[in-house]
Formats: sequence, structure tokens, C-alpha cells
Amino acid sequence: MRRGTDYLILTNNPLAVQCMEEWYSIDYLEEGSYRDVLVRVRDLVYAGHTLFTHPLAGSVKPNETPYRSVVVSRAPHAFSAEQAEIVSNSLTAFDKFPKKDRQWSERVLSDFQLVDYTLLAGAMDFDAAAGLDKARNKIPDKNKK
Amino acid sequence: MKLELGLIQIKDIQFSKECKVENGTLFVNADEVKTFVFGDDDVKACVKDAHFDIAKPGESVRITPVKDVIEPRVKVEGPGGEFPGVIAKVDTVGTGKTHVLKGMAVVTAGKIVGFQEGVIDMSGPGAAYTDFSKLLNLVLVCDPVEGVHQHEYEHAVRMAGLRAASFVGELARNVKPDEVKTYETYGIKEGMEKFPNLPRVAYVHMLQSQGLLHDTYVYGVDAKKSLTTIINPTEVMDGAIISGNCVSACDKNTTYHHQNNPVVEDLFAEHGKTLNYVCNIITNENVYLADKMRSSDWTAKLCRLLDLDGVVVSQEGFGNPDTDLIMNTKKIELAGIKTTIITDEYAGQDGKSQSLADADPLADAVVTGGNANEVIILPKMDKVIGTLDYVDKIAGGHAGSLRADGTIEAEIQVITGATNEMGFGRLSAR
Amino acid sequence: MSYRVVHYINQFFANIGGEEMAHVPPELREGAVGPGMAFNQEWKGEAEIVKTIVCGDSYFAEHEKDAKAKVLEWVKAEKPDMFVAGPAFNAGRYGYACANIALAVKEELGIPVLTGMYEENPGADMKDKVLIVATTNSAAGMRKAAPVMAKLAMKLMKGEKLGASCEEGYMPNGIRCNFFEKERGSKRAVNMLLKKLAGEPFTTEYPMPTFDRVAPNPAIKDMSKAVVALCTSGGIVPKGNPDHIESSSASHYGEYCLDGVDVLTEATYETAHGGYDPVYANQDPNRVLPVDVMREFEKEGKIGKLHNYFYTTVGNGTAVASARAFAKEYAQKLLKAGVNAVIMTST
Repeated sequence: MRRGTDYLILTNNPLAVQCMEEWYSIDYLEEGSYRDVLVRVRDLVYAGHTLFTHPLAGSVKPNETPYRSVVVSRAPHAFSAEQAEIVSNSLTAFDKFPKKDRQWSERVLSDFQLVDYTLLAGAMDFDAAAGLDKARNKIPDKNKK
Repeated sequence: MKLELGLIQIKDIQFSKECKVENGTLFVNADEVKTFVFGDDDVKACVKDAHFDIAKPGESVRITPVKDVIEPRVKVEGPGGEFPGVIAKVDTVGTGKTHVLKGMAVVTAGKIVGFQEGVIDMSGPGAAYTDFSKLLNLVLVCDPVEGVHQHEYEHAVRMAGLRAASFVGELARNVKPDEVKTYETYGIKEGMEKFPNLPRVAYVHMLQSQGLLHDTYVYGVDAKKSLTTIINPTEVMDGAIISGNCVSACDKNTTYHHQNNPVVEDLFAEHGKTLNYVCNIITNENVYLADKMRSSDWTAKLCRLLDLDGVVVSQEGFGNPDTDLIMNTKKIELAGIKTTIITDEYAGQDGKSQSLADADPLADAVVTGGNANEVIILPKMDKVIGTLDYVDKIAGGHAGSLRADGTIEAEIQVITGATNEMGFGRLSAR
Repeated sequence: MSYRVVHYINQFFANIGGEEMAHVPPELREGAVGPGMAFNQEWKGEAEIVKTIVCGDSYFAEHEKDAKAKVLEWVKAEKPDMFVAGPAFNAGRYGYACANIALAVKEELGIPVLTGMYEENPGADMKDKVLIVATTNSAAGMRKAAPVMAKLAMKLMKGEKLGASCEEGYMPNGIRCNFFEKERGSKRAVNMLLKKLAGEPFTTEYPMPTFDRVAPNPAIKDMSKAVVALCTSGGIVPKGNPDHIESSSASHYGEYCLDGVDVLTEATYETAHGGYDPVYANQDPNRVLPVDVMREFEKEGKIGKLHNYFYTTVGNGTAVASARAFAKEYAQKLLKAGVNAVIMTST
């Protein structure tokens, strides 16, 4: 697992929050869209925060899945033109997909949450299954009072 | 390393009491194959039910949602077996002799997640976009045990497909091939001495490795956990690389694509004539940016270390891998090695948007597999193998894309292999 | 009934004359004239040129607004199914006229349009806006261009879907279009690599979107000793435009001495640019070419000195290739004169 106090997860995925909030700082955009997450990431990267994960992770198209999780640094370090380009290109790529206002079933939504969460977990080398068990079973952490 | 492929042309598949290959016909006892497939504990635990069906070129048949396509092969001479590290033991493959059942494939179908995708039409306008429409397909449709985790189920269906293909491949062990093809690459020094005047060329093969439903395995190792490394082209012909990728049907590389990698085939065609085909370099497409930097650094480093003159780079998937593609290309070019790259485009339904999510002027030699956003109308087929339940939900389909009359209006990205980024098909764009 | 086409050509192809007759205003003729005959032959009666509009290239460049209005009026009255301009081959101002008049007809009247020219013709800069068939660089290419243009025009008249640029013969227009190649992608990639390795020309299937980025030179350490030159694409010229720099699609640049000039005045300088409202630039040309401020800096010792020549052209519709060629030439002059830095102004 990649540990460190400098990680900040920006996400609108409730599953990622449930599974990972004990280990990472999370900025949960509860009402936010996929695009809102990208915009927040862009603004932070423009302000000098380091981009740790690719904003377009996964091959699920941005007009399919409503969920997005991206990791940046909690503190601004130095502006990176390369990272700024990656994040602005990602927004451009997002915007070229036509909007599909589709009502997903709970089942499909939970699959989308799972894929986004596992991509994030994979990137952070985080034990996805353990996180899920924790979220599902709500086992109290023995090491914690 | 030298591998002989004994090609056995399959001209028909029939269900029968007996399992055998005879005079170009594959006879299959579905129950027998099923029993073998379910011999695996994971399959038993996760797959509730499975049944076989046959789809032939020209039939009014639609297979969907397609998970993987696999060519049955069997190792008849030399070390190891097919799908090393997954089905066979991890022995190094790629030498000796392998029998191949040409003209057919095992196709796994059925839901993995609620937005499952992948369409193969055996006739009609959609058939032109997938080379799998030209194969005799033995389709294995799976249903999950209720409540099983998606990642466990994906693994189980992957295993089910590989086991079915291995079973069928085994039937060809003692069949005399219709044609034998030999593939051979040499050690570094040996190759230089043999072809002193030919440019040294390698294939940089990018593997999808982002996570659940986006994985590739090399000798059983999850590619996202591996550094960029070297593999012999003949190893991939024995199933050293298998697909665990279920997303983005048009530009995911199925196991069949890996076994029949067209870049490998076409580099071998020029090997010893216009170029010296040195090896394949496999590199991953991870989500973590530092991983991308490290992997692309290593790709360029290996290219330099091997004293290459040129490479072909192929990609897999949408969006994020564009960054890996450009990083690889840029760094390899800056190391003084010439590149051509194969990708596909998401230029929007009107073709006017920027095609890739990343770009660099050093990537000046690009081959494209076409615009995946192009809209196509797929007429109703008489028979559906699998289910149309997910058609509304697949990438490129949209709400209402499945019309009442059975017609589907969707982007070509729903079609398995339509814009393949190994350059498997002839589709292109300008 | 056959489709009706209006054709636009210049004075040269109407047999009026060459450069010396380029001033002739638009003229409307019945039926096909010159190259129009070749189109009629290709269409074999399925379509026909009903009117030909002839206009001098200089007239179009110098009276673009009037020329456009006249042509649009005639085309509108004719209600054709198609408007074809050229082909212009390598004739720069003809190409400019063809592309611009075609665009006007398309946008104002909603009639399908087509033109043709050589890839390096400045008019080809507009290939994303109007459909342009790529031709050879001389009129000898008419035999090759006619069937391609005629076929494409017919498709447009019938409202058929166009194939990819490389199939149909038009210049890539930024709209990506799928088609099936003869060979699979991997084979094309290997062949492209072999060409690249051999140093032979090859064509990428997807040109990367690029900007002509110029890496900055190292900073000047001591500006107080630097010789600084002023250059502009804003069209500032001595009053009367002595070198006749065109108001659009400029074919050359001007080089003018600044000895003894402390400030540009309304009486002595003006802009030749036809692409922006010239009132403020003419009132005070220093607004575009800041000679006044540079002289102040010179006096204050902020810069060593202002170079005694300035270089100017009009950026309005001027082809990037032409602009690059101008700069390549005068950059040598600047180097030779020991200039250390250039301030380039645009409008």
C-alpha cells in the first residue's frame, strides 16, 4: 500500500470513501459529477498540487460511468506543465463524449462504483478486497478504540 | 528460439457424442467439455451454469456480451504447455512444436458486470468490423452464482474459457497439420552476425493493466505489478500473455489477439529480409503516474540497450493509455530510435474532436484503427447467443439504442475488436 | 433534368489575360468557360455548368467585399445545386479567392461548394472550412483534377456521404472519417517503419495536433547594451504603402528605415492591414509598432539602441508557409546587422 500523508483522494464515489477513508484524506464531492471531480483536480494541479493518478483511469467511457476518483497531493509543491497538460487534455477528452442522461439501476451503479474503486485501489496498491469487507461488514477495527 | 506452428484448418464445428477433430471438422460433446471446464474449483464456486452454442460465418447470429476470444492450441513437442503459469506450469514456452486449430475460436460470453459490452455479429454490416465474424465460434455462455464478487467471477470465466480452449486444443494433438510455419528469432550477438546489414527492430507491446476488468497476465503474473521486460515473440504464440480485459470492446486485446499478434506475424514476415526482428518488449499501462514514468523510462532504456534502430509500438484501451503511448514514443524517439505507433481514435460521432487524449510531435508515424465513435446500425439477428439485456448499457450504446424491432444503434466501439490497436483489422480513418 | 452548377474562375482561365488583366471586375457568362468544359464532360449530362463567373485575382483581393457581394448576388439569383471554384493549382491569389468565395457561398447561401488547388497554395489554409481537392502545382494537372472534382461534386449534389479524404481526393479537413484499408494496421505500421528507417517519405495516418512552438533563446543579460529591432504583422508601412503590401494574403514584406524617426505620425505612416478596423492604427501607428516608446527606452538607457530598420507585413490570411519564408529571409538581415533581440507585434 502506498502510504503517506500527502495523498488526497478527490472522488464522488461513495464506495471509495467507505473503503478507504480510514487510511487516506478524502475530499468527497458527494453531489459532484465525474466532470466536477476533473475540474477540481485541474484547479488543484494548476495551483501546483502534484497529480498522482491519471484522471482518465480505466477504459469505461466518461459518459458511461458517473464515478471518478483521482489522487493529488494534499499540499501544493510545484507547478508541472506536463501534469497540467494531462489534466486539461483529460477534460477535453471528457467533453467530446456526448451526454447520455441515463437512469442506471442500483445494481449497475454499484458495479461502476466497484470498478472505479478497484482502479483507485490498484493505483494505490491498496488491498481492495479488505477494504470491501470492511465496508460491507462494518467490522470495527480492532486496533482502534 | 524456434517454434513450429502446425496449422489445422477447421471447416466445421458440430455437436456430437464424441469429441474429436476429423477431416477438418471439430466434433464436440458439450457435456464432456463442460465437465472439464468445471473441473476447476474457482469455476465450480462461481459459475452457476454454462452452456455451449455454435456460431458460423454468414449466420444471422449475434454473440453478446463477449468477454474473451481464444484460439485452441496444444503443445506437441518441446517444453511447457499452452497458457503457461495459468493452465500449464510456468515452464518457458515458445520452442518446439504447437498445433493450432485455425479458423475457429472459443468465445466466452455472459454478464460480468451490469454494463457488460462486446458484440460479434456473424453477418450483416457489423460483421465487417470484426474479424471474429469470419471464424467458427464455439461459444461458452456463463451465468454467475448469486452474490459472487465481480473480480472472482471475472477470474472464473477467464479460467473457464482457457480450460475449454485447452480441452479443444488437446483434440488436435495427433492430427496431421495442413501446413507448418516456422518462426525463429536469435540471440543478440547471433542475430547481429547473421544479419549485419539489417536494421534491428523490436515490438513494444503495451499491455492493459489498470485494475479490475482491465488486466493482462504474463505467465500468470498481473502485468501492472511487473516492470517493463523482454519476451520472445514465439512465447506469445503459446499463450504466454492472456487477457483479463473486459472493457472497451473495440480496442481491447483478447487472448486470440495475443496468440495471433499481427505485429509479431508481420515483423516475422520481414525478418531476415528487410529487418532483423530482435524481440518483444512488454510494458504496462498503469493508473499511477509515477508507474507510467518508470515503465516508459524502462522501455526506452531497453530499446537503447538492445541497440535497436526502430520499433513498432501498439496500444490497448481508451484514454489513460494514450499518455503511456506518448511517453513511450517520445522517450524512445529521444533515445534516437525510430518509432511507428498503432492506436485508435475517439474523434466524436461527427469526427471533429481531438482523437487522442495526449499528443506529441515526435509521434510522427501513426497508424490508426479508426474512429471508435462512428455510429452504426446493427440490424436484428434471428438468434442471439448470450443476452441483449446489456446492449442499452454497453459503451457506445445509449438508452434506447436497442430498438423495439431488435435493431441496435450504437458506436462501433461496442463491436469486439473493431478498432484493434495491434492493427489486427483493416479499418482506418483520415 | 440535370443538376445545375455555377463555376467561378479567374481572368487567366477565362482567356482574358495574365497578371496585367488581374484587375478586371466580376463578370457573368452563360454556360461553361475554359476548365468548366472538362467538368461538363465528366458529368455526362447528369450535371451542367449553367453560369460561369469570371473575376480578376487582384480585383478580388483589393475589393473583396464588393467582389463577394456581386458573386453572391449572381449565385443567389441562379439557385444552383452546386458551386465550384477553380481549380487554382499554385496561383496564390486565385486560390485565396476560390476558397473565400466558396466559403461565402456555403455560409451565406447554404449551397454545397467545392474548390481545388495545390497543397501549398495559401488558399489551402482554409481546407478545414471548405472542401478542397488537392491538385498538382500547375494547370497541366487539370486532366487529373477534373474527374476527381467532378465525382466529388456529384456526390455533394446527390447528398451522398463522403468517404475518407484519401479515398475521395480532398485535403484532410479535420473531420475524421472511417474506411477500410487494403492492408491490416500491423502491416501498414511495419511498412511505415521500414520507410522511416530508410529515410524515405511516409505519411502518418493521424497527424498529431501541433503548434509551431519556438523554444525561447537564452535571456539577454544586459538589455542596456542590446540592439533591439521592431517587426510586425500588423501592416504598418510608410504613408502610401510604397511596396504595395497586400491588405490580405500578403505576398511579401517591407523593410523601412527608422533613421531620424522618433515617433510614427498619422501623416507619415499607416497600416496596410485589411483585417481589422484601421482607424486607431492610422491615427497613431505607434499603437502597433511602438517606435515612440523604444526611442524613450533608448534615451533612458534601458536598451542599447533601436535597430534602424523595421520589417513589416500583413498577417491577414497570409499563409503560414509564406510568413515563415519572409521571416527566414529578414532574420538573416537582422543577424547580419548585429541585432540582439526582436519585438514582434501582431494585431
